[in-house]
Amino acid sequence: MVSMSPEQKSALRRELETIVGGGGVLSDPEELLVYESDGLTLFRALADFIVFPRSADEVAAVVKLAHRERLPFVARGAGTGLSGGCLPAEGGLVLSLMRMNRVLEVDYDNHIAVVEPGLVNLHLSWAVGPRGYYYAPDPSSQQACTIGGNIANNSGGPHTLKYGVTVNHVLGLEVVMPDGEIVWLGGRTRDALGYDLTGVFVGSEGTFGIATKIVVRIMRKPQAVKTVLAVFDRVEDASAAVSAIIARGLVPAAVEMIDQLTMQAVEDAFGCGYPRDAAAALLIELDGLAVGMDTQAARIVAACRDSGARDVRLAADEAERQLLWKGRKSAFGAYGRVSPAYMVMDGVIPRTRLPYVLGRVNEIVAAHGLRVGNVFHAGDGNLHPNILYDPRKPGEEARVVEAGAQIMKVCAEVGGSISGEHGIGLEKSDFMPFIFSPADLAFMHKVKIAFNPTGLCNPGKVFPTKKSCVETGPVAYRPHAIEAQGLAQRF
Amino acid sequence: MPAPLLDKLRTIVGSGHVLGGVELSPYVVDGRTPEAAVFPGSVEEVAAVVSLAAEVAMPLFPWGGGTAAAVGVPPPRAGVVLGLSRLRAIVEHEPGDLTVTAQAGVVMRELQAALGARGQWLSLDPPDAERATLGGVLAANASGPRRHLYGTARDLLIGVTVVTADGSVVRGGGRVVKNVAGYDLPKLFIGSHGTLGVIVEATVKLRPRPDEERLVALPFERLKDAGVAVRAILASDLIPNAIDLVDAAAARALGVAAETAMLVVGFDGLPEQVDWQVGELASMMRPYGGHALMTLPPAAWPALARAAQDAFDVPAAVMTLSVLPSLVADTMEQGASSARQRGLSTAWSAHAGVGLVIGVVRADGERQDPAMLAAVLAEWRAGARAGGGHASIRWAPLAVKAALPVWDDAGPAGRIMQRIKAELDPQNLLNPGRFVAGI
Repeated sequence: MVSMSPEQKSALRRELETIVGGGGVLSDPEELLVYESDGLTLFRALADFIVFPRSADEVAAVVKLAHRERLPFVARGAGTGLSGGCLPAEGGLVLSLMRMNRVLEVDYDNHIAVVEPGLVNLHLSWAVGPRGYYYAPDPSSQQACTIGGNIANNSGGPHTLKYGVTVNHVLGLEVVMPDGEIVWLGGRTRDALGYDLTGVFVGSEGTFGIATKIVVRIMRKPQAVKTVLAVFDRVEDASAAVSAIIARGLVPAAVEMIDQLTMQAVEDAFGCGYPRDAAAALLIELDGLAVGMDTQAARIVAACRDSGARDVRLAADEAERQLLWKGRKSAFGAYGRVSPAYMVMDGVIPRTRLPYVLGRVNEIVAAHGLRVGNVFHAGDGNLHPNILYDPRKPGEEARVVEAGAQIMKVCAEVGGSISGEHGIGLEKSDFMPFIFSPADLAFMHKVKIAFNPTGLCNPGKVFPTKKSCVETGPVAYRPHAIEAQGLAQRF
Repeated sequence: MPAPLLDKLRTIVGSGHVLGGVELSPYVVDGRTPEAAVFPGSVEEVAAVVSLAAEVAMPLFPWGGGTAAAVGVPPPRAGVVLGLSRLRAIVEHEPGDLTVTAQAGVVMRELQAALGARGQWLSLDPPDAERATLGGVLAANASGPRRHLYGTARDLLIGVTVVTADGSVVRGGGRVVKNVAGYDLPKLFIGSHGTLGVIVEATVKLRPRPDEERLVALPFERLKDAGVAVRAILASDLIPNAIDLVDAAAARALGVAAETAMLVVGFDGLPEQVDWQVGELASMMRPYGGHALMTLPPAAWPALARAAQDAFDVPAAVMTLSVLPSLVADTMEQGASSARQRGLSTAWSAHAGVGLVIGVVRADGERQDPAMLAAVLAEWRAGARAGGGHASIRWAPLAVKAALPVWDDAGPAGRIMQRIKAELDPQNLLNPGRFVAGI
C-alpha cells in the first residue's frame, strides 16, 4: 500500500466518489481483501482503493487523479487471471471494470460487435447467438472472465488451434492512456492505419493503459461439429497422434489431451464416460461444413488408430458431445477429489516435442516427490501440467515452485515459451530471461515507456523486478464454488 | 557519400555487395537516388551496417524485393539502401509443427515452393510473389485475396528477429504457435515499413495445402447488386477463402468480360466441399442477378491480387481504401463517379469480404492536372473516412503526393506512434519521414 495520512486518504476517497458515485469506492481493509488476489492465490497485494467506474470518462477521470497524485493503478476484470497480473503490486488504485459490462452495438453485416471491457466473455456469444453468431476465443473460464481481461492477457482457449487467440479477433480499442487521455487504437475496419497499436496493446497485461471499448469480430456458427474421443494406452502414442493428425493435412478446431490421473479425477467427480484405465485420451473437435465432415472424421480416426489408439469414439449426439467437453472443462474442479491443492503451469512447446517434454515433466515432478495431472491444448503445444500438493506439509509448496521453474526451463530449452495464455504477470517475470535476452527485454521496455512513461500503470509486472508489496505465502489454491460444481475452470 | 564511409561499408559486406553510380537506378524512389546500396550477407553484417549508420547519423532504407518501395512519402533525406536479398535461407521447417523460420530476404514464391514440396503453405498471397520477400511482405503488411479466410500477417507471424536502430539484434515472439510471454513485438513490425527496425528473420504459422481449390466468377449488371450478394454470402454457411469484387476494367485484367461488375469467389477443401459450395453459391446468387457462373483458371489467383493495378498500361494514381465490408460497393461506385465527373476513368478491385478496396486512376497523356488528381483522391479519402475507414495513396506522381498527404490522418493515435518511433529510433534514421504521422 502507498503511505498516506488518514486525512489524505479520506480526501482522496471523497474525490474518487465525486467521479464514480457514492457506491463506487471501497477502502475498508475487509473489503480490500476481496481484491488481494486473482486466480493464482500464491500472490497477494492490497490496494488503497477499489474504484468502480461506469464509463470511459470516469475511468479517465480516475486515471488523471492517479496521475496527479503519482499513485499506481491497475485495471481488473473478473479476477480469473492466473499470473497475478491484475494485482496492485505497489498499492494504489484498482479500477474494477465490472460495472462496464454492456454490449454496445452489434453490426451483423460486418461481423463486428462493440463491447465494454467488463462484459463476461460468454455473454457476448449469448447476445449474438440467436442470430447464428458467436465470439470465437473461448478461455475455459469464459463463464466468468471478462473480455477486457482477455485483452490484457491475449487469452486463448481450446478452439484457438483453428481460430486464433484474442488478438486475432480484436480490431479496435478505445483506450484510456496512463495520463488519462482517451484515444482510439485501430477501429472497425480490418486494416489499421500506421502501426498496429491494437495488436501490440492486446497482451500487454494492463501496462499500456485501460481499454474502455473493444471492437471484436464475431463469427458465423459452423454448420456442423463433430467430436472424437481417442483413447491411448501410452502417452507417447497420444502425443504422436497429435502430429499425425497435423501431418495428414487436418486442422481440427481443437485437440485436447487428458491424462490418466485427470480422467480418474473427472470420472470420480462427474462420470463423463472417460476410460479410467487408459494412459491418455485426446478430445478432438472438427467443425465447418456438413459436407465432407465424415471424410475428415475418418481421417482423424485413421490417424489416431495408426498412432496406436486402442479405441476411437465419435460422440453420437449433442448430449454426448457436451458430456465429453464437460469432463475436459471440469478437470480443475475435479482435482479437488485427489489433492488438497494444485498449481497450474502454463508453457508452450513445438508440437513435435510433446513426447519428450511430457516425459521430462513427469521426471521433474517425481524428483520433487510430487504428482502431476495433465490436461491441455495439445494441438497448440500449450501444456498445463497441474502439480498436486498439500500446502499443510512443510516445504511442499516451495518444491512445487521449484519444479514449476524447472518445467519452464525445459519449455524454453526446446524452443518454446514460458506462457501460452496465462501471461507473465507477477508469477513469471523472473522467468523472462529464460527466453529473452537483455536486448530483447530492453526493447520491450522502450515500447512500454512509449505508452506508459511514468510507469504508474500496472507497475511491477512482465519485467524481471523486485516484488515490492506483494506477499507470497502458504495460502494455497482452493477451488471456487463454481469450479467445484464443474461449471467453470481455470483455463 | 564520403569515401571513408563507403570504404567502411565495403569492409563490412565486401566490395562486391556495395552498389553505386548507375547501378543505383533500380533503387530510385520518387526521384531520389540513394547514396549507395549495400547487401549484407549475414545478420551480423546487417547489425554492423546499422551500427555504422547510427554512428554517422546516416539514414537507411531497408529493401526487400522493392515491390512496396514507392509506398509512402517521398524520401526527404538522402541515405543508403539496405538490401536483404542475400539473407534468403529457410532456417527451419518442421512440418509437424506447422511453422517455418526463414530469413527476411527469401522470395515469397521460393518459400511457397519449398513449403509446397512438403504439402504446406504460408497462407499469405500478396501480389508480385515472384519478387516480394518475406520481410518485405511483413513490413508492408501485404495481403491477397485469400486473406478473406486466412487473415493477414498479424494472424500468421509468431516470431521476428530485427536489427534495431542502435545495431542490436532483438527477438520478439518465438517459434511456437501460441505465446503470450512479453509484449507482442511481431505485431509492431507488421506494416511498419522498416521504420522501427530491420526485419532479418521471421517465424510464421503454416497450413496444410488444401486437397482442392477453385475460383469462380459471376458477372453482375449492377455493382450494387454484387455488393448485396457479398452480404448474402457473408451471412450464409459458405466458407469461401476469397470474395473479391472487381469492376469491368479490372475484370478485363483477369481476362474475363463483365459489363459493370464481377464477383469472384474462391473455395478450398475436400473436392466434395468445393463442389457443394460452388453449387450453393450458384443458386444463392440468382436472385441478386448473378446468373452465369464460370470457373476461372488457377492463373487468375495472382492476377486477382493486382487486378485494378493491371487494368491500365499506365496508372496515374493508386489508392488503398480500408472500409467496412458493407460499404465496399458504394465506395467503388462513388469513387468511380467522382473521377468520371472530372473526365477521368478508373479501375476498381476489392477484397470485398474484408473491406480492402483499391482504386486506380488511368493516366491520360499530358492533360492530367495533378491538382485535379489530388482532388479526386481527396474525395475518395473523405468517402472512406465518412464510413469510419481510412485511405492512403499507394502510388502517385510526386506532384500529386505534394498536393495531398500520402497517408491518412492517424488522429491522436498518431502521437503514440510518434512516441514509439522516438523511443526505438531516437536518431530517426530508419526510413525517416516516409510513414504515417510524419514518422
